[in-house]
Amino acid sequence: MESQATNQAAGGSAAPHKSPPYMLIWLVLFVLTLAEVGVAFLSHIPKNILILILLALAVWKAALVAMYYMHLKFEPRKLWLLAISPLPLAVILVVIVLAEGW
Amino acid sequence: MSTAAAMHEVPAHGAHGHHEEIPFIRKYIFSTDHKIIGIQFLFMSLAFLLLGGLLAMAMRWQLAWPSNAEMPMPGGSLLPETMVNSGIMLPEFYNALVTMHGTIMVFFAIMPLLVGVWANYLIPLQIGAPDMAFPRLNMLSFWMAFTAGILMLASFGVTGGAANAGWTGYTPLSINDVYSGVKTGQQLWALSLTLLGFSSLVGSVNYITTLINMRAPGMTWFRLPLSTWALFITSVLILLAVPVLAGGLIMMFFDQTLGTNFFKPESGGQPLLWQHLFWFFGHPEVYILILPSMGFVSDVIANGSRKPIFGYYAMVWAIIGIGFIGWIVWGHHMFMSGMNPLLGGFFMITTLVIAVPSAIKTFNWMGTLWGGNIRFHAPNLYAISFVALFAIGGLSGIFLAAGPVDIPLHDTYFVVAHIHYVLVGRSLFGIFAAITFWYPKMFGRMMHEGLGKVHWLLTFIFFNTTFFPMHMIGSGGMMRRLYDPTQYPHIAQMQDTNVFITINALLLFAAQLIFAFNFIWSLFKGKKAGTNPWEANSVEWSAPSPPPHGNWGGVQPVVYRGPYEYSSPESEHDFLLQTQPPAGQPVPARH
Amino acid sequence: MERGPSSFGVYNMKLGMWVFLLSEVMFFTGLIGAYIILRFAQPDHFALPGQVLNVPLTALNTFFLICSSVTMVKAFAAIELGDQKGLQRWLLATAIIGMIFVGIQVVEYTVLSHEGFVPIADLYQAHGRQGGHEVLGGPLYGATFYTMTGFHGTHVSIGVACLWFTYFKARRGGYSAANFGGVENMGLYWHFVDLVWIILFTIVYLI
Repeated sequence: MESQATNQAAGGSAAPHKSPPYMLIWLVLFVLTLAEVGVAFLSHIPKNILILILLALAVWKAALVAMYYMHLKFEPRKLWLLAISPLPLAVILVVIVLAEGW
Repeated sequence: MSTAAAMHEVPAHGAHGHHEEIPFIRKYIFSTDHKIIGIQFLFMSLAFLLLGGLLAMAMRWQLAWPSNAEMPMPGGSLLPETMVNSGIMLPEFYNALVTMHGTIMVFFAIMPLLVGVWANYLIPLQIGAPDMAFPRLNMLSFWMAFTAGILMLASFGVTGGAANAGWTGYTPLSINDVYSGVKTGQQLWALSLTLLGFSSLVGSVNYITTLINMRAPGMTWFRLPLSTWALFITSVLILLAVPVLAGGLIMMFFDQTLGTNFFKPESGGQPLLWQHLFWFFGHPEVYILILPSMGFVSDVIANGSRKPIFGYYAMVWAIIGIGFIGWIVWGHHMFMSGMNPLLGGFFMITTLVIAVPSAIKTFNWMGTLWGGNIRFHAPNLYAISFVALFAIGGLSGIFLAAGPVDIPLHDTYFVVAHIHYVLVGRSLFGIFAAITFWYPKMFGRMMHEGLGKVHWLLTFIFFNTTFFPMHMIGSGGMMRRLYDPTQYPHIAQMQDTNVFITINALLLFAAQLIFAFNFIWSLFKGKKAGTNPWEANSVEWSAPSPPPHGNWGGVQPVVYRGPYEYSSPESEHDFLLQTQPPAGQPVPARH
Repeated sequence: MERGPSSFGVYNMKLGMWVFLLSEVMFFTGLIGAYIILRFAQPDHFALPGQVLNVPLTALNTFFLICSSVTMVKAFAAIELGDQKGLQRWLLATAIIGMIFVGIQVVEYTVLSHEGFVPIADLYQAHGRQGGHEVLGGPLYGATFYTMTGFHGTHVSIGVACLWFTYFKARRGGYSAANFGGVENMGLYWHFVDLVWIILFTIVYLI
């Protein structure tokens, strides 16, 4: 793998690492998608629980894409912190505006 | 990068300089040099500042002598009859003035003056970099802002006139031309701001990447000047807040143009949704409008006191704290919207909490001045008045933060007083300090010191006489965006105050002509400036005035210490440049 | 040019791309958040997604987009090892799958419009896929649906154009094992578009 020196040029990942299991992740994503669609059609579950499960599955999938395909898991921690910084704001915006209606 | 390079002499043009002559257009018009782009933003936003001021003068004339045929509006005969008829302003035009004054001042004057100018000009110079990370993107950012400005100006000329739903563009007024009488103008308003937002966004990507990645050797985070810290946090705020406004503006534009119903209550849309989206952006926006000024004031006061800034770490954490907490206070602009009182209480508490880091900064500025060998040069005068006016603007903010107190004061001139104390008394004074302070670096000449002091004094006096009485008439019940104050008896009895305010506003505007004259005159006749005319410490003062392309002519600065080493025992002077090697070490020639 | 002390250890273009993507997160938050808020406030103005939208077809489309993320990351893995042929193959695959995704969306939009599900209030007369019945759901549903998926689709289309550009540059030998930043950044953008779709699909089609 490239050494730290070639970090200067437009190329090179942050740390040498074994290639992540891309195909395994793809399989997990496929299974999770099936699970999501399956769960969505289970109409006997109360709506709120359904929403929670679906959101959890979606977030799980998104996290897998971010961590493995976008290599966040292998990047320096500061980049990782930067990358998740908008998430609390997104949650705050939606939750507080929804709360206004209660 | 290598010892072999250190043996090179620095050639006259700079080791990495271009040797072909760049044509005028590439050098000054479509430039990718951050300094030129910063100066382009400077000229553009000063022009918009002037325009915004003129709009305010027209408004004030109407407020003092409402629809008074004996006091016709000056220049009114030049305007079409849809705006001013026989010297009397039409109410629709007044609403457009109010809207455009606010929009132009916030988005096209103050914001670019603080960010477009100074983030571009100062960041690479203060961190020791030759330019921004993405110079061509930088150029794109300026021209997008310029185009947005043209669109906004064009709205004055379209049928129906310019936008008139307030600078906050509340729905459904802003999306319904049956109510507002303006269709194209409002659409142009939405489009222009979307484009401007994109310009700011692109800029902030540049600033953040440059700051993180391109600091010179030795320039650790906690050796950055407070100007740079403030610009960094401001850039993060822009990055995350502007897209939300963009989303809202797009939905507004669709409502105006395509017939969608996002904000139309008769079809199930939610007008309050616009307010939430706008203020979720709008509150970080006001911190965008103040943080850079705070940074400049810190640097100028430390320089003017010949002392290190009092409590550097506290100042940094205060900037970060204001940036953080600023995300969860937006509801205080909406106390009167009928929200759940518990939620209102939450916003009240967070708003009061954000006063704490601001207070810390104020005390630290005073601590810096205390016992200092104070130089009352023009930049320092502006900076010190910033601190004084901070108290008033901040205190009126505390009144408004308390929900129950906000209820009678909302949408009155009390709020107008608060806004102007913070935006003019603080942001604008900070801008004057910054322009006067960094003018020699930008143009190689000093601004005239005497004229600067006269401008400062007159501005300070007339600013207070104009805006302080607004606290009173606001508490007395005068509403914002009101065309004719005399139509209500409870306001008519305060009309003398309105006249007083208008006269002082006109004097305030006139005093700015001194600054404009000084700015232009000094470009040609100002005293030539050396590299470090203010005897300051930060890295930009080690570059020539003005710096060449690449800033240090191919040599990369090395940083040895923090930016506030004034009156340091290590130095025979009362200042010590960050790039000055410690005694006994030779100056390295690095490429 | 030396890296500053305590920088993030990531080269400029990559850091710049990440910073840009953060702003995109906030942009989609605004749009998707608006949909959530509008729907929560007036649930009877929105039909259930399954009544109006073709969930199985879009689920398949979601799967395609995820596959394109795999092909993209394989392209990146290829050029990390200097495999030029692999890079080109996988880039081509990604671009083609991306075009399939957009194509299916266009088909979806066409069918929905014929069923009366349109963004503009005055023209809205959705009668669902059950054929002929008035479907509950006021004009808000169309507007929010097309705005969210439309902006996402625009981002995908821009991505596809960039993928073709990257592919042709790869064919000209523009990348190597020591210089693959362009591919990495293309990948970051493409994965991001996939990520947004994962969230969008769940919120818009399944909930």
